[in-house]
Amino acid sequence: MDNEELRANLSSEDPAIGLRASLALHRLAERVEANNVATAREKGWSWQEIGDALGVTRQSVHTKYNKESS
Amino acid sequence: MTESVAPAMLNAWALCLQAGEEARRRGDRRAGTDHLLLALFEDPTVEALLGVSLQQARQALDSLDHEALNTLGLGSASGAPPLPMRAVPKRPRIRDVAQKDRLRITPAAKKVLERASKPNRRRLYVTAEQVLTEILALQRPDPAAVLLGALGVNPSEVRRRLNSATPDGFV
Repeated sequence: MDNEELRANLSSEDPAIGLRASLALHRLAERVEANNVATAREKGWSWQEIGDALGVTRQSVHTKYNKESS
Repeated sequence: MTESVAPAMLNAWALCLQAGEEARRRGDRRAGTDHLLLALFEDPTVEALLGVSLQQARQALDSLDHEALNTLGLGSASGAPPLPMRAVPKRPRIRDVAQKDRLRITPAAKKVLERASKPNRRRLYVTAEQVLTEILALQRPDPAAVLLGALGVNPSEVRRRLNSATPDGFV
């Protein structure tokens, strides 16, 4: 899909659907991140490496995802 | 109301935590009214009252998201698997809810819980019926109202069932 088509879709839609789509994107991004952090840990990545890849400190990744592994 | 028909009281904190896990499962950071509705399925009477199962409700949320993403041309991207849910204690202690990331609920969900527990002597305990009554009163675009609409649940029909199940009602 080109940008113009995307923009047309975004503007023509009912805001109820557009707002839901925005939230759905957040949810999707969150799931993609969590699933990949888990995969990275399984593959032996350190919290530091995951933090670097996400552009945040190792502490913040650790605080957010540490509980799931336990 | 006699003791024998007294509805089971749910711990409001446990309900919040369970809603939070439903939110987490989908990748949401805060529990909304839709997640509160999913958490109510802990009480087995809710499935009968609504005529739908927890699985159906979760699927309906997924397909609503899928449809919304479709309008952006991203329908095929919505395949990331849900996240695992953590177990929630039946009677949470303060340390369970004091942890920063647990008990994040949307203002609408908070309002539902506050209204539901208002008539109770102990505000920490609510019945599924009380919370459900408040959720049924919500209007679109509230997420729980949208979910009930997608499930084909008729709020006034459920309200009628609620009133016949609990003669003194909670309205």
